[in-house]
Amino acid sequence: MPDEAGRQPQDATSRTGTAALAVQMTGISKAFGPVQALDDVDFRVAPGEVHGLLGENGAGKTTLMNVLTGLYLADAGSVSLHGEAVELRQPADAVSQGVGMVHQHFELVQAFTALENILLGAETATWSMNTAAHRARITELATQYGFNVRLDHAVAAMEIGDQQKVEILRILYAGSNILVLDEPTTHLTPTEVDQLFSSVRELAAEGLAVVLIAHKLHEVFAVCDRITVLRHGRLAGSLDVAAADRGEVVAMMMGEDVAVPEVRPKACEISDEVVLSLDGAGGRGGPTDVVLVDLDLRVHRGEFVGIAGVAGNGQRELMELLAGLRSIQQGRMHAGGQDVTAARVDERIMAGVAVLPGDRMREGVLPASPLYETYALGRHLLQDGFAPALLEEQAREMITHFDVRTSGPTAPTASLSGGNIQKVLVARALAVSDHADGGAMVVMNPTSGLDVGAAAFVHTQLVATCEAGGGVLLISEDLDELLMLCDRIVVLAHGRFVGEQVADGYDRLALGDMMVAAND
Amino acid sequence: MTDTVVVDVEAEVDIAAGGRRDAIIEIAVIYGLGVIVALLVNAALLAALGANPVTAYGTIVSSALGSVGGLAQTLNRMTPLLLGATAVAFAMRAGYVNLGVDGQIYAGAILATGVAFLLDGWPAWLLLPVVLLAGVVGGGLLASIPAWLRATRGVNELFVTVMLNFVALFLAEYLATGPWTDPVAGEAITVPIPDAANLPVMLPGGGHAGILLAVPIAVAASWWLLRTRRGFEFRAVGANSLAARFGGVRLVRIGVIALVVAGALGGLAGSIEVTGVHSRLLTGLTPNFGYMAVLIAVLARRSPVATIPVAFAFAVLIVGADSLQRSVNLPASAVLVFQAVVVVTILAFETPRGRRWVSRLLPGSGRSATDGSPGGPSAAGRGPGGPGPGGDDVGGHATGRGAGTQPAGEGA
Repeated sequence: MPDEAGRQPQDATSRTGTAALAVQMTGISKAFGPVQALDDVDFRVAPGEVHGLLGENGAGKTTLMNVLTGLYLADAGSVSLHGEAVELRQPADAVSQGVGMVHQHFELVQAFTALENILLGAETATWSMNTAAHRARITELATQYGFNVRLDHAVAAMEIGDQQKVEILRILYAGSNILVLDEPTTHLTPTEVDQLFSSVRELAAEGLAVVLIAHKLHEVFAVCDRITVLRHGRLAGSLDVAAADRGEVVAMMMGEDVAVPEVRPKACEISDEVVLSLDGAGGRGGPTDVVLVDLDLRVHRGEFVGIAGVAGNGQRELMELLAGLRSIQQGRMHAGGQDVTAARVDERIMAGVAVLPGDRMREGVLPASPLYETYALGRHLLQDGFAPALLEEQAREMITHFDVRTSGPTAPTASLSGGNIQKVLVARALAVSDHADGGAMVVMNPTSGLDVGAAAFVHTQLVATCEAGGGVLLISEDLDELLMLCDRIVVLAHGRFVGEQVADGYDRLALGDMMVAAND
Repeated sequence: MTDTVVVDVEAEVDIAAGGRRDAIIEIAVIYGLGVIVALLVNAALLAALGANPVTAYGTIVSSALGSVGGLAQTLNRMTPLLLGATAVAFAMRAGYVNLGVDGQIYAGAILATGVAFLLDGWPAWLLLPVVLLAGVVGGGLLASIPAWLRATRGVNELFVTVMLNFVALFLAEYLATGPWTDPVAGEAITVPIPDAANLPVMLPGGGHAGILLAVPIAVAASWWLLRTRRGFEFRAVGANSLAARFGGVRLVRIGVIALVVAGALGGLAGSIEVTGVHSRLLTGLTPNFGYMAVLIAVLARRSPVATIPVAFAFAVLIVGADSLQRSVNLPASAVLVFQAVVVVTILAFETPRGRRWVSRLLPGSGRSATDGSPGGPSAAGRGPGGPGPGGDDVGGHATGRGAGTQPAGEGA
């Protein structure tokens, strides 16, 4: 039953005590086959606390939260919620105990309205739905925490940020008092991040326990009270944010002995030769797609060009347009000296347009197929004939060269971690670009969800591509990444290029203004 | 939607992650258990009908395999099943569902019969290949309708192929009772095709040479899928159609190949039935071979070459059930239930929950990969979803239909 009982302001001062801990996980261990994902991990969250859970990819953050939400059964250890020992054998047990998790992929019915989604699961009457009463209470809840969403709009038509609000409302309305957010800022704009964090603070002020699985340190420092760091499935430490030092936290995440890899600045001249260009290009796709209008763009040999913008302003459409998945209805596109305006995807690959899509798992890999087949996709067009043995051998070389962590070229692609999968996809794009002797790399959000080490690898490879005579177009929602790497940043808003800055004169605020100015 | 896909993928990854040998053992165990359960269920059914299950099973095996004549019948039955299953498995590898094998058999048979009538007088060495080819063209033409609709309008081929089954059947019925009818027969069959168009007999008891075409075709289909560039593109579309598009694979072309080739294989089965078994077109040409083909393709895990043994086993059952009906006077359907039970049992064991159960039966500790199936607790509801429908899912649904439409009895 949705009620406010579990959300009564609790004794927020008891944060340091152990009597009323909202979450107390002790000695949690979990192994998947030979891999020890969690090893004797303790985790404590007090009511009214925002708790950051940090660690590199594969450190065990998600596994630990999956134990808390009843998705996995721990091999060893115990869980207490609000001081009572509980046994969470399945997700329904955790939900009934007030634990709610917002996953990176929301569990919303796309065709339903926000209201219908929120009622789903909360509604207990069998035959009738007293929507009006629910609506009033949901509206109250939404207003209280600043989740302003239009309840009667279909979720499918909502921006990611709004969908996330619906998801959080749904979980709150189902009566959760322990809220787990799995990397909630990944797809949000800076403004949305601020909104989310202020809502999170509101929730904590009401006595809820909030766990934030996070990657970005500055976000953790902005919103969390305490943090717990995991490394290789073990507890690396737990500390108050007020008393924490960034360097110390990084050291806890990476291990003392590991230096954070730095991306070397690009050391090459930008040539006059254009590897990729758009002249007044545009096109209209499906009804919910952003219409691209009058895009002019030049990427030269050795040049690193960035496309900045708030998510949902045509980034995906631009990537698809360049890849050849979306037709160019106005204007022209050239690559490698050829007019590829009407060229298909395969013809563009052969012209040296190498695309690293934004959604690795959906757009990049053959999940259940052996790794060498995922590595071969797209590259298969550039080779004479088709020889599985040769492809396997090439994959083996790639694995060694790029230090991909896998059991071998025949391992199923989905068995690799996100960072290693991205290494394979980068290697694949590099091969396409190299084949054209310095082609054009089109890269979208290449480091989203990657840990520091894997992100540095990707950045280094992109820089090397420029140095080898290629051109890189980086479409990214991460402004820091763009500022660090690009010679030139073009701002995309509402499907148009609305402004541009070059490396010497970067002004973060001005860029931010351009990104949102067209976006009122 | 995303979640169901992920679960599916993880289930498949589980198998592979456990090591290839473990995976093979696990599959063998699952299939063995499926057969045992089906044998027991069927034995209970036979006993309830007053028959001795052991005797009945003995009769099945001896009638289907115990004599040259029996073997000939079994191979004759196997031929359309194998071609049909290859057609289904082949298309499934690219994520397309061909439920129209029955219609394609009729379409192939119609064109083959028509061409045989038309070219009466041609020598056998020329006529027979042309007639068989006519069947290929007939099935391919029929399947080009769903292929075209899918390519240009995005119409789901599943519905179109099913609907066309009726079109082809009624066209055959019209021809067999109208223009081409045999007035003496008094039923829906045509006059015989010229002798020169008949397939040579290979085994006494009417065993025709069709199997010599069907087996190499199944092998070739698997080879093509695994060893050629286009075959790789084909499998890539089936594995993740969106990633395949980014990889430069032309989806429309793959879809057309998948459906038209599948249709052509069904059509070949039709022309073989005409030239090898009946020597004419008739309405009872396919007792739901198409649906059985789907079961076989699912059991063969979408591998054309693996459909060979499965189709053989199904053929044994069908021939055995026939003779059981004649000799012991048991309804053939009492035995054909076996097919459905075997499929349902194996599919049940193949769910993550079923796999975990199986893995506990197995000795050794190398089986832990299955325990960690992250999809485990929530994986009971596997559904179709995502850009390219997972073949297994679709198979699961199709099986439901197939199981419900088992042939009640076998004519001729």
